[in-house]
Amino acid sequence: MKKHFTPLLTLCLLLSGCSGLPAAREMGDMALLRTLGVDPSPAGVAVTGSTGPRARGLQGDGEPALTLSADRESLSGACLAMQSQSDSFVFFGYVDQLLIGETLAEKGVRPVLDYFARDAELGLGAQLWLVRGATARDALSAGGDEGIDTRLETIQNDSKMGIANLTRTAGAVYTDLLELGSAYVPALSPAEGGDAVLAERGYGILKGDTLTGFLEGEPAKGLELLAGGPASDIIEVELPEGPVSVKVTSAHTKGRLAFQGDAPSGLTVTCKVETRLSEYRERPEGEVLERLRVEVERCERRRIETALEQLRAWGADCTGLGAGAGMFHPARWQAVRADWPEWFSQVPVEIQVEVKIR
Amino acid sequence: MSRQETNAPHPRKEPRLPGPLSLARLEEVFSDCVDFSKREVFLHGDSQRRATVCYIDGQARTERLNDYVLRPLAQDPMLASVPEGELFALLERGALYAQAAKRETEVDPVAFALINGSCALFLEGRDDCLVFPVATEEKRSVGEPENEPALKGARDSFVESLRTNTSLVRRRLRAPELKIREHIVGRQSLTPVDVLWIDGIADPDTVALLSERLDAIDIDGVEAAGNLEEYLVDSTRSPFPLLPFTQRPDRFCQGLLEGRVGLFADGIPLGWLLPGTIDQFFKTGQDRAYHWLVASALSLIRWLCALITLLVPGLYIALVTFHPEAIPPKLALSIVAAKQEVPFSTIFEVLIMLLAFEVIQEAGLRLPGPIGATVSILGGLVVGNAAVEAHIVSPAVLIAVAIAGVAGYTMPSQDFGNALRLWRFLLAILASVGGLTGLALGCAGLIYHLAGLESFGVPYLAPFTTGTRVPRGHPSLFRLPLPRMKWRDGPVRTQNRRNQR
Repeated sequence: MKKHFTPLLTLCLLLSGCSGLPAAREMGDMALLRTLGVDPSPAGVAVTGSTGPRARGLQGDGEPALTLSADRESLSGACLAMQSQSDSFVFFGYVDQLLIGETLAEKGVRPVLDYFARDAELGLGAQLWLVRGATARDALSAGGDEGIDTRLETIQNDSKMGIANLTRTAGAVYTDLLELGSAYVPALSPAEGGDAVLAERGYGILKGDTLTGFLEGEPAKGLELLAGGPASDIIEVELPEGPVSVKVTSAHTKGRLAFQGDAPSGLTVTCKVETRLSEYRERPEGEVLERLRVEVERCERRRIETALEQLRAWGADCTGLGAGAGMFHPARWQAVRADWPEWFSQVPVEIQVEVKIR
Repeated sequence: MSRQETNAPHPRKEPRLPGPLSLARLEEVFSDCVDFSKREVFLHGDSQRRATVCYIDGQARTERLNDYVLRPLAQDPMLASVPEGELFALLERGALYAQAAKRETEVDPVAFALINGSCALFLEGRDDCLVFPVATEEKRSVGEPENEPALKGARDSFVESLRTNTSLVRRRLRAPELKIREHIVGRQSLTPVDVLWIDGIADPDTVALLSERLDAIDIDGVEAAGNLEEYLVDSTRSPFPLLPFTQRPDRFCQGLLEGRVGLFADGIPLGWLLPGTIDQFFKTGQDRAYHWLVASALSLIRWLCALITLLVPGLYIALVTFHPEAIPPKLALSIVAAKQEVPFSTIFEVLIMLLAFEVIQEAGLRLPGPIGATVSILGGLVVGNAAVEAHIVSPAVLIAVAIAGVAGYTMPSQDFGNALRLWRFLLAILASVGGLTGLALGCAGLIYHLAGLESFGVPYLAPFTTGTRVPRGHPSLFRLPLPRMKWRDGPVRTQNRRNQR
């Protein structure tokens, strides 16, 4: 057996022409695309890709970001067309930022996510952003020679530290769309002033796979509380003793469903918020602290109410309150799951906010 | 004569020098031997009583010959007065100051006794002789083990003298159960080869098998370690060593205590321990000297380094050439920037650098110490740096090859490190053909190869397998506290598996 194994393996490889083996490609002549933007176009779809700043050799000066764009009937056609626009081999394996223009989002993001899921080089690990009030190509152009991948990476890192909007990967959004029927996506738009080339503009809400609307300001903060993300925020409260600033450090939200028979009769949303005193003239104690807590509670409740009001109006439970609550009643949840968006708009919602100040 | 007859092994002649002994016959045997010497002596000045002493110059020690043989012959009055018929018996039973005296009547044993440093005493009118051991003990003194330095432990090492080596072992293992059996290997060299084991602990079957294989060796001489190793191992096709060896008596004794069988050959300053399993090649003499946590950490590092030296070049080729998406973006960007001005392909770069690394290493080893160091510095630093600056190789390749090379030096066994070096080339070539697929196939092939190896009935991968169905000692990747290492892990079978209460 051992004697025949090696010749047999060699013969198999030779007969197959080593066709099962991957193809080699040198990295020296690669242009590594980091950011991809997708918009609709008269031809079908407009794809724009940017490499970010590059270095020419070890001691070479930095080269400007390479930006390629192509309009074709399909995404794959556009990506292939971009190959011919560069001297280097355009490699899509490093695309970790995906921008979708508002117009395309209104038409549907599913084809883009499908393409990312199926392509060998691209993947659903890329961060997904909606470009509000502009096209993805505009957003990419806003970066100029430097590109925008650095700015997007900064937002992503800031988000992990709780000082920027929640970020989402294409995979997470795709999963939410498939399981919840809706998803929230952070929104950006080209900045009009300041150093930053892109400004945060709340969240876009996708229902089905189309853009339903945007949440910004107080409702956006409410969405962050519902999503249970590290919604770091400063709440300024004017007390008779003087102004006090409270920093929100964490939030944890749970939903509970009540049923009458098999029909949902109410949704209770409980949000536990952890805060920390950040600025004050005299440290609030006792009754003052209690009044402060009540004020913060009222503020956070208002945010959740405004967010929920809008989401219920759209029938988009994009934070999965119903699905989370349904885990306590699996059989009943199975019965209402398909119609949950309608139920979500109809069932009375009770909001409970518990604030702890440290 | 047919070709088959020419190539057939000629039978060994026993005895090698047939026939009865006589001084003339002995002189005939050693004709054309400039170091053969004989001295005629009058017993106590009596010219009627003559004796002839024969010896090999350089093999016999002059002082012993003069003081313990020639001086009594010349000065003892009893030798002149004793009746003629009793003279021979008197010399045999104590007139001369030697630890042994043996009467010989055949030429064969006398010839070999002279070669081993004895002298032969012939009396006039008799053809038999008395053989007295007066061998010289000139040898290298016991020094420090250069290849296995000790920071915390004994500093003696084996030497070329077989008896010195067995004595170093005997001084550490004073139990009379330590057995030493001698075999003679080599038609022309007649090298004594000793098998050592502790009776009641070592596997008797392993001892018997080793003795059988030693007796089956029919070669001209034992001039190098390979003369024994390649005849004793089960498979010579594998580059992986199957017989671990050591220069350190303490480590050798530890092996015997684990139930292994030891082997010494005269003229080779090291001792082998068998059966050899893969974990033996990762152990150092210091493992039991350091704290168990430190020893375990160092052991894990050595295993990790074995993987690094084996896989890093192949992994670099596979990732950079076939699977760039698996490289972190910032590293990928710097690799792209570095590769842009390099004219060669990554595969060519890595293979050439691996080859260059071997060339520099070999050049450094073959040259005398100071020049070797200079060559290494020139080759490694200056040429490497110049090659990077001239964009002939990319710095990432240089780093990958250097990391692999340096990691290989952590192997306590040079033989095992050499095997890894060979497989490193093979895996790099496979990675350049099929990327990670090729590398994975190569690794599977390596495991298949290692799993097929055996050393004296014990699987080479015994520490990681249960093929023998016998629980073996203790973990091999790290070391437990010694009070918890209660089991011997040498042989498959032992009459006494537990080593402590």
